[in-house]
Amino acid sequence: MRKDERQLIQQLISGDQQAFTLVVSDYHNIMLSVARAIAGNVFADDVVQDAWISAIKALPKFEGRSSLKTWLLHIVSNGAKTRIRRESRSISLDDGWESVAADKFDQRGHRYDDVYTWDIATPDALLANEQLQAIIEAAFQQLPAMQRAALTMYDLEGIKMNDICNILDISSSNARVLLHRARTTIHHCIEQYQDNH
Amino acid sequence: MRQCKDIAEEASNYINGDLPFAERMGLFFHLVLCKCCRNYLQQIRQSISTLAMIKPQEQSSIDKDELAKQLHDLCHKHD
Repeated sequence: MRKDERQLIQQLISGDQQAFTLVVSDYHNIMLSVARAIAGNVFADDVVQDAWISAIKALPKFEGRSSLKTWLLHIVSNGAKTRIRRESRSISLDDGWESVAADKFDQRGHRYDDVYTWDIATPDALLANEQLQAIIEAAFQQLPAMQRAALTMYDLEGIKMNDICNILDISSSNARVLLHRARTTIHHCIEQYQDNH
Repeated sequence: MRQCKDIAEEASNYINGDLPFAERMGLFFHLVLCKCCRNYLQQIRQSISTLAMIKPQEQSSIDKDELAKQLHDLCHKHD
């Protein structure tokens, strides 16, 4: 366990209010992302609140075999799975996906149209454009929950693929497909913007 | 011989380094020959970097300060 994390856990156990504010601020949204991916929007808030309570009660027993973030995500994942079992619901992995547009390729798999480098090319330049930033943000929010969770954990939080599979209870190939679909959607929205401006 | 469509389908796995060696080399040789696919892969990388800089968050209506306070109080109750 990292030293700063051990210290944070000690502060939580000893009841330091600032430590609680910090962990909720850092981890609540990603926990919500996992809960929505597994249990759906309707139950997600409840699942995350229950997960926080379970985690706080179990903190003194936390052994640090994973990071605090991964541990919290496992708790929320287990809670979400229990909840959907109880509600007899299942969430589709494939909602909202359009496959790679077949009309972009000829019969031999070659592209019809050339792909050029973007006019607005660096992440900094992309970010400087407020309209584009809003479009990317909106595209992210509209991703199906499973894709959003996979993208958040892998590309934004740096969580390992194995952990993502365990947390979302999906196979490695499913996790990779979800990540690819999410990235492709984000790419597509930037591409459309570049084409139109 | 790998084609543009294969690059489009395997772009994420290629970037993540998640492909078996032979598969990776097949795509690599296509990339050497195809500027469009090099540009496409570069665009995907730029999309990931940009998103990581924006770091969008799950939308939530919960008051986090209030939640932190409730959890803090709960923790004290267990003392």
